[in-house]
Amino acid sequence: MHKTPLLDQLESGPWPSFVTDLKRVAARKPQTADLLGVLERSYKDKITHWKHGGIVGVLGYGSGIIGRYTDLPDEFPGVEHFHTIRVNHPSGWVYSTKALRELMDIWDEHGSSVLNMHGSTGDIIFLGTRTEELEPCFAKLTSKGWDLGGSGSAFRSPSCCIGPARCEWAMYDTMEACYELTQEFQFDLHRPSYPYKYKLKLSGCPNDCVAAVARADCSVIGVWKDDIRIDQSAVQAYAGGELKPRGGATKWDKLDIQKDVVELCPTQCMSWDGKTLKINNRECNHCMHCINLMPQALRPGTERGAAFLLGSHAPILEGAQMSWVIVPFMEMEKPFDNLKELMSNIAEWWSEHGKNRERVGELILRLGMRSLLEAIGVEPAPQQVRIPRANPFFFWHQSDFDAEAKGRRYDTRQGFIR
Amino acid sequence: MALPKEELVEYIYKMVEAAQGKKQLKAKDIEKAVLKEHPDQNKNDIKFAIKELIDGGRCVYTYFGGSFIEIPRVEGAAKH
Amino acid sequence: MTEPERKTDIGPPHYGQFLHPVMKANYGKWKYHEILEPGVLMHVSETGDKLYSVRVGSGRLVSTDFVREACDLADKYSDGYFRFTSRHNMEFFLTDLSKLPALKADLAAKGWPIGGTGHSVTSIVHTQGWVHCHTPAIDASGIVKAVMDDLFEYFGKHDLPAQVRIALACCLNMCGAVHCSDIAICGVHRTPPKVMHDKLRHLCEIPTTIASCPTGAIRPHPDKSLKSVIVNEERCMYCGNCYTMCPAMPCFDAEKGGVAILVGGKVSNSKTPPAFSRLAIPWIPNNPPRWPEVVAAIRKILTKYAEGANKWERVGEWIERIGWERFFEVCDIPFTFQHIDDYKFQAYDTYRTSMHFKF
Repeated sequence: MHKTPLLDQLESGPWPSFVTDLKRVAARKPQTADLLGVLERSYKDKITHWKHGGIVGVLGYGSGIIGRYTDLPDEFPGVEHFHTIRVNHPSGWVYSTKALRELMDIWDEHGSSVLNMHGSTGDIIFLGTRTEELEPCFAKLTSKGWDLGGSGSAFRSPSCCIGPARCEWAMYDTMEACYELTQEFQFDLHRPSYPYKYKLKLSGCPNDCVAAVARADCSVIGVWKDDIRIDQSAVQAYAGGELKPRGGATKWDKLDIQKDVVELCPTQCMSWDGKTLKINNRECNHCMHCINLMPQALRPGTERGAAFLLGSHAPILEGAQMSWVIVPFMEMEKPFDNLKELMSNIAEWWSEHGKNRERVGELILRLGMRSLLEAIGVEPAPQQVRIPRANPFFFWHQSDFDAEAKGRRYDTRQGFIR
Repeated sequence: MALPKEELVEYIYKMVEAAQGKKQLKAKDIEKAVLKEHPDQNKNDIKFAIKELIDGGRCVYTYFGGSFIEIPRVEGAAKH
Repeated sequence: MTEPERKTDIGPPHYGQFLHPVMKANYGKWKYHEILEPGVLMHVSETGDKLYSVRVGSGRLVSTDFVREACDLADKYSDGYFRFTSRHNMEFFLTDLSKLPALKADLAAKGWPIGGTGHSVTSIVHTQGWVHCHTPAIDASGIVKAVMDDLFEYFGKHDLPAQVRIALACCLNMCGAVHCSDIAICGVHRTPPKVMHDKLRHLCEIPTTIASCPTGAIRPHPDKSLKSVIVNEERCMYCGNCYTMCPAMPCFDAEKGGVAILVGGKVSNSKTPPAFSRLAIPWIPNNPPRWPEVVAAIRKILTKYAEGANKWERVGEWIERIGWERFFEVCDIPFTFQHIDDYKFQAYDTYRTSMHFKF
């Protein structure tokens, strides 16, 4: 074990200490001891000591393994190679202890015994192993029913919220959709053939617990179309303080229905006379605030599906983007063929026109939203924009004139050029 | 004229070999290059020809700020 | 012995085999939930079944020993099933609330905190940092540990005006996509790479070095005999990718690198639309092992928010109401050139065009 006076200072305090945790492994594994040694060195030097590899992998795949080498191999030979293995997680990050123990056995045998539960995309991240361990580790993983996740310019492992498995607000089966789409795109998940990464996250409702709108090119967010279901007696119970605001998520004992709910409704579509809560559902914008505050009194409607949004990514290159609404409402029934087709069509358009490292949201900026919508056959809809353009630089295609000549609106399929 | 499967595989391998050290090719670059010479080639054939080269270990995927298809080599970062 | 056939493209196991029996029996039938106390959720089904979830903070960077310990607890209390959340917490499932005190005692013995529900500060979503990443300006797990130690009181209580989501990315590549967080901690490099021509020709592959640059700022050196590259410094975003491909291009600077704080982002649609986090503090020194300046800055912002925000207001909604000029004033943060956006076309949308400002 290397001396780690700086890291040792992270062993105190009430939050669980990763240093204490990793030291247990370091005591029995030289490579993990060297990992702490390198980390201590970074704490001293204030600089990283890892180099990026770009070639190692398992046969047949271009995904799932990230090459990693230390720049101090002589001092820390245990981490000379320290590659990452991404293991595709199950929908909703649910596990049986039997399955997790099997995974831990594999990682104890073939790697550093250090991992992330979970990485930013959602995968289980096995942190650190040697090149020669990759194939045996992969063989053991598949023999127990696990596969590698995505990396590089590939379809990335999709992730989803817990959805109908334990949430009353799941507007579609996020868990099954996540599984189905992962299976559908296995080829593209393991064989990076896109311009850059292509992510999918599925949230069951507009609370968006997996941050789909910010963290995935393809963001599928559940929504309902009909009326919020109201239990007036439960509303009374919230007003009277028998039921706690937000199901008990706050420090407050009692809701003021008028102030906390009605006046904070962004569309002002609610009213309360002290006895009855009324909602003008046609004007509701599905923000979830009232439902969040009174989960026993208000429930989303029963005509359910999801909105499809596209384009979000982290800041490199054009600055961070959030996903834009493309399809305001889609049915979401197993086997989700409409979603599969939509995502394939988008990938085809993007692959055809995208440059290396250009995310799909950036390509839309470069070629224009119309180019995408025409290519995937989606009609313009006011839900797609926050506000219409303010400039006069809108242009007309021959297809627009053709549509006009036929007496059609510009937004019909007839007007589109493929 | 579309190439028969085996010839297509060799055609792509030669393309990757010729690009080695000069330009890093993406799967789409290969597809576009094949289609330029053989416009009637089925895109799926190209996809699976690349898969055959990768599965046989004659080519590998690499990642250098984007994923490419290359001839296997020892990477710089692995050297001291 | 013949080798078994190579299996590929099987995808992850189906989640169905990992669902707690009560989750399976009530799949799609959940009616409502309550949070009985911080960290303890009760979900009630239309069938009348109840499932209690106990949320526990975890470090994200863990060992197999840690996971096995969690498995032991799940076997003892949770019928052999548990899950992780999108924010790196664990959730154990109880069908019988009378088991809660014993579970709490076992968790306390391990020092594993219960909380992270409702109007709390829940676990920090974060990236790898110095433990594994090739481009970080800062560590990840260490800063997270230091910040969570300091904000620990907020994890196990529902004391804030709304939930507060903190996230950390160890460089501006933002693998953690922290850009829509109430409080985002972001590592920043501040210097473009300096090319060491005499070293580069021996150490680096020129095509991969050029390919590594996301902005295309690296070109072959015009003097071909040098076998090196040049950098267009104006295009450099300090992302660090080139340095990791090519150690002859050092841009990481132990003293110049540091931490930026961005605030006011969210992803939920509740009341107001999802929003980006905005720059609050452009640079704080990178000071391991406990980053006291970062910890203090976050505490200050959090406490000012807790004092100033109305009921239900997220950090960004509070700032929007009082105005950014007031935010900088109450948090004692100096306003600098760095705060004024000048990156491409997104910038003009941030300049003020109204007389709606305060002094």
